[in-house]
Amino acid sequence: MQAFVLVAALAALVPATAAAGPVDTPGFTKAFSCSACHGSAGAARADAVPILAGMPAWYLKKAIDDYASGRRPSPEMEPFSKMVTTLGVDDVAAYFATQKREASPIKLDRAAIASGRTAATQCAGCHGQDGRGDQAKGTPPLAGQPAGYLLNQMKLFKADKRSPGDANLTALKALMKGVDDPTLANLAAYYASLGR
Amino acid sequence: MARMTRREFLKASSAVVALSGLAGCASTGGAPTTTSTPGDLAPNRSGRRVIVIGGGWGGATAAKYVRMQDPAIEVVLLEPNDKFISCPFSNLVVSGVRSIESLTFGYDGLRKQHGVKIMRESATAIEPDAHRVRLARGFLTYDRLIVAPGIDFQTEQIEGLAAAGDRVLHAWKAGPQTVALAQQLKEMPDDGVFVLSVPPAAYRCPPGPYERACQVAWYLKTRKPRAKLIVLDANQNVISKPALFRAAWQAYPNLEYRASNKVVKVDAAARELTTEFGDKVRYDVANVIPPQRAAAIAVQADLVGVDKRWCEVNHVTYESVKAKDVHVVGDSTIGIPVPKSGTVANSMGKIAATAVVNLLNGRPAPEMPPINTCYSWVSDTEVMAVINAYRIDSGKVVQIEQKLTPGQSALYAHHAEAWATSIWADILA
Ligand SMILES: Cc1cc2nc3c(=O)[nH]c(=O)nc-3n(C[C@H](O)[C@H](O)[C@H](O)COP(=O)(O)OP(=O)(O)OC[C@H]3O[C@@H](n4cnc5c(N)ncnc54)[C@H](O)[C@@H]3O)c2cc1C
Ligand code: HEC
Ligand code: HEC
Repeated sequence: MQAFVLVAALAALVPATAAAGPVDTPGFTKAFSCSACHGSAGAARADAVPILAGMPAWYLKKAIDDYASGRRPSPEMEPFSKMVTTLGVDDVAAYFATQKREASPIKLDRAAIASGRTAATQCAGCHGQDGRGDQAKGTPPLAGQPAGYLLNQMKLFKADKRSPGDANLTALKALMKGVDDPTLANLAAYYASLGR
Repeated sequence: MARMTRREFLKASSAVVALSGLAGCASTGGAPTTTSTPGDLAPNRSGRRVIVIGGGWGGATAAKYVRMQDPAIEVVLLEPNDKFISCPFSNLVVSGVRSIESLTFGYDGLRKQHGVKIMRESATAIEPDAHRVRLARGFLTYDRLIVAPGIDFQTEQIEGLAAAGDRVLHAWKAGPQTVALAQQLKEMPDDGVFVLSVPPAAYRCPPGPYERACQVAWYLKTRKPRAKLIVLDANQNVISKPALFRAAWQAYPNLEYRASNKVVKVDAAARELTTEFGDKVRYDVANVIPPQRAAAIAVQADLVGVDKRWCEVNHVTYESVKAKDVHVVGDSTIGIPVPKSGTVANSMGKIAATAVVNLLNGRPAPEMPPINTCYSWVSDTEVMAVINAYRIDSGKVVQIEQKLTPGQSALYAHHAEAWATSIWADILA
């Protein structure tokens, strides 16, 4: 009886469509080590790590570059970004950019989403109305990312711990400093709910 | 051949039906084209069969990734257990923070999503020249074999350990022993002494014993503050993340760590351990993690080196240096500068699967390095980690970098949970 529950629980960890990666899918082998944390084909099912499936190639490349150089500190991603650089970041970025995004299964609070929607007006100028991101402004898509990951990144910006001292992010960090933590959590819930 | 009982015969023939019934993606179709040799449990008609020995972190991953990359290859996975129980996070079962059920998964995903044929059996021998794997009742032939049986214990190296039976547990293969050790800890007298013995390197999961020390110490601190934990380490120092573990232990004054204290004898009646230097240590609960080697099947098939312990492999294909068309992944391997971890075994499983798929398709295997991450729970809520990245240089795996988390935190505990969720699905779903 318990066994059935467990099998069901594991089934919930996989996206509905089983990832099919024929041997010739470009980038598949260069990207498959990432699934140990970011889920099958970048479709993360956990709350604390970003979904990579469908991430624009330019942004993924920037993130890898920032981690590899140590500009954006992360004990996990710094070594793996150096590895990606040796394997060829273009192939890895192109692979994830072409993977279909699956909605995260993490449950969200309706009230938090509603409050977050109101607070998000101050973000739309840079991230777009629907949180889709804008390469011209250097903003990644926020829509559909797990709330836990988004909230933590906002706290890192607020404390100037993500890309500390980066002049391009001064406006963003100044904005974050003026937002209290409960509002950040609401913003995270709102952006996580988009595109589901 | 030994005579079969009627029941054995029925079991054997149903295994044949189960296998051949599913076979045939790339077969010539219709009637068998090969006349079966007596004992051949399922004639290999496609000429593209991969057998995987062991459905743990390395083997289950390899089975899935062969099928994902080339569904025309038949994959047969041999695994005696009907459930996968995760060693990672099992130290949290010892401290009562997690249940063993939360670490237990079925093999349905491999079977249904990926068409892996699973036989609930142990391989009893490997015959590389004949390309055969022997089972209790016959054999199966393969084109390529992936051996991923994990580790076995060198119980004979500690006097009295075998005789101690389940009075002295290792709990180093997650399962009934893990649950039994948690029970022993719970039932220990309030002022009791728990002794944890760490084996000499190389063994499965370098930080694992020190994580266990944290979990036992955390349990004692919160439930039995008068009790004590003594760690007897055969090594000269904590062999993984020493500074981080020693910092974590500051929170546990009830933990006493003794380096260079190799346990050589167990007296279960007197409840006493003896070290190499003749020191005797009394215990209420003894958790002895014995020295280790590659699992029996790998030793018996002579895939191990002169040390008779571990299997040396090619760093790109994971093919054994001793047997052609036989690949070895996971804890059984040595010589690649990586720890014996679940993350590494999962990584090796993918790379070996890719090599096998390419080689069976007449192409060279791509050069892919493995990755490593080991998260360690230092309390019920905080985690720290070691991360290693590698590259391939002139056909050999070399490390690019090793990084540690700057300390322990609840955030890394969230990362650890994310890793577990993702990697369990990567192996089985
Ligand atoms: C307490 C503990 C904590 C750990 N924590 C972590 C962690 O946090 N992170 C991490 O990365 N790693 C961790 N590890 C290490 C990790 O569990 C191992 O490195 C990993 O399981 C190795 O995978 P494997 O495939 O080589 O062996 P296993 O996972 O042990 O799989 C081997 C399988 O082969 C089967 N088998 C054996 N012989 C035969 C045969 N003759 N025929 C058929 N099947 C056979 C066995 O039944 C078993 O299922 C931990 C280990 C322990 C003990
Ligand atoms: C051991 C777990 C782990 C593995 C393996 C891993 N990652 Fe990550 N990744 C993380 C964590 C944790 C973060 C969040 C780090 C932070 O706070 O900046 C992250 C963040 C990222 C981001 C930032 C995304 C964003 O929205 O800014 C990218 C891109 C990324 N990873 C790519 C990869 C790639 C490509 C691989 C495989 C080569 C990989 N990761 C392997 C854990 C992992
Ligand atoms: C002035 C422009 C600007 C404004 C306004 C802005 N952002 Fe951003 N944001 C950015 C940029 C640029 C990045 C990319 C940073 C990088 O490259 O590391 C970013 C990144 C992020 C990230 C990290 C995403 C990831 O995948 O790692 C989050 C979360 C985020 N912003 C949330 C918000 C929220 C919520 C608001 C409104 C309160 C907001 N931002 C307002 C410019 C802005």
